[in-house]
Amino acid sequence: MILLQSHSRFLLQTLLNRAQNLEKGVELDHHWVEFDDVRYHIQVSMKNPHLLLLSVSLPTPSSETIFVRGLPFGAFEAIKAAYGNLLQILDPPRDGFNLTLIINLSKLPANQDQKHAFMVKVASIREVVLGAPLRVVLEHLAARTVAPDLDPLVALVHRPNESFFLFPQADKVTVVYPMRFNDSIDIVLATSFLQEFVEARRTAGLHNTPPCSWSLTPPLEIKGVPSDALSANAGFVTFVIFPRHVEGHKLDRTVWNLSTFHAYVSYHVKCSEGFMHTRMRRRVESLIQALDRAKPDVENSKKTSFNRSFKRLGLKDSSTNSIS
Amino acid sequence: MDPSTSRPAVVIDNGSGYTKMGFAGNVEPCFIVPTVVAVNESFLNQSRGSSKGNWVAQHNAGVMADLDFFIGDEALSKSRSSSTYSLSYPIRHGQVENWDAMERFWQQCIFNYLRCDPEDHYFLLTESPLTAPESREYTGEIMFETFNVPGLYIAVNSVLALAAGYTTSKCEMTGVVVDVGDGATHVVPVADGYVIGSSIKSIPVAGKDVTLFLQQLMRERGEKVPPEDSFEVARKVKEMYCYTCSDIVKEFNKHDKEPGKYIKHWRGIKPKTGAPYSCDIGYERFLGPEIFFNPEIYGSDFTTPLPVVIDKCIQSAPIDTRRSLYKNIVLSGGSTMFKDFHRRLQRDLKKIVDARVLSSEARLNGEIRSQPVEVNVLSHPIQRFAVWFGGSVLASTPEFFTACHTKAEYEEYGASICRTNPVFKGMY
Repeated sequence: MILLQSHSRFLLQTLLNRAQNLEKGVELDHHWVEFDDVRYHIQVSMKNPHLLLLSVSLPTPSSETIFVRGLPFGAFEAIKAAYGNLLQILDPPRDGFNLTLIINLSKLPANQDQKHAFMVKVASIREVVLGAPLRVVLEHLAARTVAPDLDPLVALVHRPNESFFLFPQADKVTVVYPMRFNDSIDIVLATSFLQEFVEARRTAGLHNTPPCSWSLTPPLEIKGVPSDALSANAGFVTFVIFPRHVEGHKLDRTVWNLSTFHAYVSYHVKCSEGFMHTRMRRRVESLIQALDRAKPDVENSKKTSFNRSFKRLGLKDSSTNSIS
Repeated sequence: MDPSTSRPAVVIDNGSGYTKMGFAGNVEPCFIVPTVVAVNESFLNQSRGSSKGNWVAQHNAGVMADLDFFIGDEALSKSRSSSTYSLSYPIRHGQVENWDAMERFWQQCIFNYLRCDPEDHYFLLTESPLTAPESREYTGEIMFETFNVPGLYIAVNSVLALAAGYTTSKCEMTGVVVDVGDGATHVVPVADGYVIGSSIKSIPVAGKDVTLFLQQLMRERGEKVPPEDSFEVARKVKEMYCYTCSDIVKEFNKHDKEPGKYIKHWRGIKPKTGAPYSCDIGYERFLGPEIFFNPEIYGSDFTTPLPVVIDKCIQSAPIDTRRSLYKNIVLSGGSTMFKDFHRRLQRDLKKIVDARVLSSEARLNGEIRSQPVEVNVLSHPIQRFAVWFGGSVLASTPEFFTACHTKAEYEEYGASICRTNPVFKGMY
């Protein structure tokens, strides 16, 4: 409930459902959108019910980020490494999408557990593709080297026209997020949330987690970046990732958590707003109860019962209310 | 241009029983989950018991309770496996009763199920025709304040159900929508897309009552269903085995002659001990849906059958719309999914109408012959989420975005903009 899962729930449900009813040919054509403007399209035709076309479109990259053939660098290799030859990449992809995959449902592993694991992996396509560059950098960190053909400062897309920055070194990787929010209330809440987030890192029991800091001004690591990429209205969050955070199976989770950090913060800002409303509602209810108790007697209530009705908009006050 | 208008709108149809959610432009919702929230209240009780001074612990306990909840099928399985979670149903009889639970439910729908950013999408929500303006305001407040949606449209579910039929065959926006959900049954006449508010009829028999009736029948017959599970078993039996019969006496005879053919078996596992059990399902297969046609077998406080209610509803509508209303009676909601439900409804309704025509002809001594009244009860395969589908169709038209309440309007005028339909804005 606290973290966002890496697989798309609907995609997984559809895949499992299709794999179970393979012989029933059903037309399927579904579009949907996930957070940070990742769009999906899944299609199965009546003719070939075991061929499933999955198209993914990624957020538009900002000027600092480089895409190779429409995908972040290292994505093709990552797809091959993750899925092997169980699916093919359609080249060129469908119109309006960055990537189209063909999954042959009749050639899945026979073992139920393996099959399920493969499905979950396909449903996490977003993590594989968008997290690919991050994974390259972190794999080099685990080996305590720096990827050879990379700039000293790497910009990775995570939201439409927005990037976060990596500063890879042999013994650590510094990750910097410029945090931007649209709503003025969100900015305030996010700022205080991030401050508490940094504070919580200092409590006992979290000594091994990546050190993190928050500041209103851009940290020194990202000096060379053009200033319009650094206009953040809720400050900058910096994580320092050490090799111990990317050992073995920890790598997957680290990649996912880092590439969706903004979504995580935005989710929690919305949750806190919701919970504040719950508190406010409770408070109002208790105050109304107090007012009710303070009413002198019941006799007066007879009169009020006559004009008990909804607020009626008269002509006068509605004219101020109308939108011309 | 606002980039959110280029993305498909999110359509959420919150019913008392199930919530249907997905993106506009698709033919099916992404998810259909039970509208239920499982909350963990053990934290709150603990902290209340302890001393007053320890406010940090109390605060933390509150935070934990805020985050520790589940919705939908997960909620049902959580509450069954552990006793720390208590279920709460935010919508009863088609009206939102518990706004805290509702807000949490929406939060999980958006972030955990649809996994979308609410700031990126316009939203279409549904309401029952009898929803008070106050509750619409509340919905708007939650959507705009908590989720920061760029635009919101609150549609009447019966109009959407009519709109669902709009695309499949013909362009008819006049008809009677018989919406039998889990918590509420409404008969809503719509003329040219406008609800005739004064003629709406609603009856206190709905899907949940069918479930309760089945549960009662099975209990009285002494089937060995564990009591804590019996409601869920009755619900599943209703969804899997129930059908509508044409004649109740004949149906009893059929069952008695060939019990092997008609009696089904239900197998389950007792939740506490894990021991398997099985029970028979007999007459309740057709007696369940029968409560819509003969409500007196269920309870004595309401005895008007559904066809009579529909007839009364049409008779109270303006006279020039009645013929076209009889012609287009649309079913919607999960509890109209029983096999042959529409046939039975059409037959019973036709009987009432024909009897009235005959009696009026007899009164006039056969001097004036009236044209026969056409009665059509339509059912389509997507009946279960017809409302959602109608919403999806509506929200995928380009005009939809101009008909929404926008965030800017909300900030300018406040929640009262949700009282009226934005289509009429500037008209009063």
